Amino acid sequence: MTVSIEQFIEQFNTAVDFQEPVDVTADTALRDLPEWDSLAALGVIVMFDVEFGKTITGDDIKACTTVADLHKLLG
Amino acid sequence: MALSTLHHVRFAGMASCMPHRVLDNVRDCPPSQRSERERLVRNIGIQTRRICPEWQCFSDLALVATEKLLEELQWQREDIDALIVVTQSPDYLIPATAIILQDRLGLPHSTIAFDVNLGCSGYPFGLHLLGSMIAAGGVKKGLLLVGDRCANVKDPLFSDAGTATALEFDANASPMHFDLNSDGSGHKAIMLPAGGHREPFGVQHLIPKRDEHGVLHWPADLILDGPAVLSFSTQRVPPAVQRVLEYAKVEKDAVDYFIFHQANRMINETIRKKLGLPPEKVPSTLHDLGNTSGASLPVTITARLHEALATGRHKLLLSGFGIGLSWGSAVVDMENARFPAMLEA
Repeated sequence: MTVSIEQFIEQFNTAVDFQEPVDVTADTALRDLPEWDSLAALGVIVMFDVEFGKTITGDDIKACTTVADLHKLLG
Repeated sequence: MALSTLHHVRFAGMASCMPHRVLDNVRDCPPSQRSERERLVRNIGIQTRRICPEWQCFSDLALVATEKLLEELQWQREDIDALIVVTQSPDYLIPATAIILQDRLGLPHSTIAFDVNLGCSGYPFGLHLLGSMIAAGGVKKGLLLVGDRCANVKDPLFSDAGTATALEFDANASPMHFDLNSDGSGHKAIMLPAGGHREPFGVQHLIPKRDEHGVLHWPADLILDGPAVLSFSTQRVPPAVQRVLEYAKVEKDAVDYFIFHQANRMINETIRKKLGLPPEKVPSTLHDLGNTSGASLPVTITARLHEALATGRHKLLLSGFGIGLSWGSAVVDMENARFPAMLEA
């Protein structure tokens, strides 16, 4: 299964469920997102598991700087 | 051991009791945190919770549940051979709450009474422990009291409840099947760090720190590693459920209801989707009753199924998981058991 960065960003926006939606691109740094927090990280872990059948950990996410880095976790 | 079967143990009934006081996670939160809280509530799926007043213990709720259950079953107190309490909210650090309840319930001195220290996973473990005592032949009638007083005002997850389950020896009872597991390498994922012998209470535990939202946190507060608990629950529980169903030779379609520990919506929905279960077979009490720790299986059965289970024969899959880390599942048939409606105290 190949997931484009555009498809990934769409899923990412749903998973993080921000109160105030913001424009997200591949180069967006996670720490620059005002509502990027532990809850958003949990949403991303669930998204990988349910949507993409891939297991990732909190540490995997901590090692990522940008949204594109998260996308690369799909392998 | 992991997989095992118990014979001659009949599930006789269950009752649950919660405190009157309702906390609303959005309405009762400080206005400055409301937007963030609304997002949290959407994701954890918990709108309201029940919280004990200062004076009330878990055992006070369990006592009310037990009195009602004994009345419904018309069991005589002198016939109760065992009383097992599964809690992490004892009345005192010592002695065991079960022994205090033996006296408060007016049970005979011949009743075996002791506590088990398990939380969210505790129900299937307690069922197996009491069931084993009955299957071995010594105990004819026993009570399993499970629950916690774990709610506090600032933490939006937890809710208080006490429950009682009655099991009895019956040569014709259907077998109960279990899958029980422990992984202590994850013991730091959910813990109360201070107050035991590793880290005795000191003055340093009385000094809170303020986080970026202005909320105070004490060094002795519950530690909960969200990503670790989420990964553990969603990775370990679905295969364990599959395993116990295969062991019991029960198809998913033959199970009437799948009752999971009510952790939070993200965890529970992920588990449900991974197992491919329809929502109508997986009742939830997260929205209105919160995460009631070890009581969540009985609370969900009482709140959602007490009428559906009152007559006929039903096959239930029960699955608890959490602190320890620890996870257990059981396949249990319930026939003509007694299920009083939710009690409040």
